Amino acid sequence: MLRLFYVLLVGLIGAGLVHIAVLLMLPQFSERDAWSSLAEAADVYKAVRIDASDGSPPLVKAVDPLFHAAACRFDLDEAPVHIRAPGNVPYWSVSIYNRAGENVYSFNDRATEKGALDFVVLTSAQMIEVRKAMPEDYKRAIFVQVPLGDGIVLVRSFVPDPTWEEATSNFLARIACSKD
Amino acid sequence: MLKTAFLIFVVLAVAIGGGGGSVWYALKANEGVGAVTIGQWTAYPYIGTPDADPYSKARSASEGLLSLGRAEGISFSAQRDSDGEALRRECTYMVEGPVPSARFWTLYAADQAGGVVRGGERRAGALHSHQLIRLADNSVSISAGKHASPGNWLAISGVGPMTLVLTFFDTPIASSTGAADVVLPSIIKAGCDA
Repeated sequence: MLRLFYVLLVGLIGAGLVHIAVLLMLPQFSERDAWSSLAEAADVYKAVRIDASDGSPPLVKAVDPLFHAAACRFDLDEAPVHIRAPGNVPYWSVSIYNRAGENVYSFNDRATEKGALDFVVLTSAQMIEVRKAMPEDYKRAIFVQVPLGDGIVLVRSFVPDPTWEEATSNFLARIACSKD
Repeated sequence: MLKTAFLIFVVLAVAIGGGGGSVWYALKANEGVGAVTIGQWTAYPYIGTPDADPYSKARSASEGLLSLGRAEGISFSAQRDSDGEALRRECTYMVEGPVPSARFWTLYAADQAGGVVRGGERRAGALHSHQLIRLADNSVSISAGKHASPGNWLAISGVGPMTLVLTFFDTPIASSTGAADVVLPSIIKAGCDA
């Protein structure tokens, strides 16, 4: 009897260890996380719509029904990434996520002059290089310094009513996500 | 010998089964760590950020969630009315009261899987603050239910439990000043279809 009690006790301690191990390893090994879903849908540096525009389930759980959104993956180990989109929409906001899908930086259209979407994501080391010789392309861009390698940029755009659908869809379709 | 092997098997079964099962249960249960509750509304300001607790991190990884950033907004959800009863789609609710300052906000109903409840044939399933009628003291009164209503109406279709989601965009309450001092509208049941 005492032996069975002892066995159960060891089992419960083991269960505690397994619980902690599974919990901490889950974010690293999940195949259903945002990065994996985006990787299935599109290549790196390719912006893809993630909301359910045609009634299919959304690619990534991120979006309010009154919003359209597009995301692209990038790798700062290669080069800074430059994101631009022409056009005017009532409201847009941008979030930058790390490989695990954690929000590390966000801003909205009030952060820019005239609400134009034009920004560069880069590391501090790359920022030093850019300051030495500012490329012509970057003259109007906002610089976002993040300590990342792999990452995701997500652009959300508000659709106040159905008449705005076309304008916001075009805005998101013209997002250029490029490493220069 | 056989007995020892059996005991080792029991230990391993309890450890792996119990450990894995408890994680699964903890992620399924909706009670989160780090929640901010205001009236019937609950928000998770830290979910999806590097400051989140391990349970929130595991949940957002397994659901593939990309959460709103601090500069974007904050989302509150409610599953119960002011009497503590679960919100149901066959009932009509009045969402009444003051709202905190924000550039704009949206309100919609979600089903249990987090999908948006459709508003019926010709009605969007969501409202936003630019299209609402406000009362004289700048507060709002919204009727959420199946039956069309004068004033502000959030159309809901179907039956079963639902969650109301209220999201504020570009708002100071999402920043570190804390969401706890904010006053949000209350959800009062007006009636149910028999």
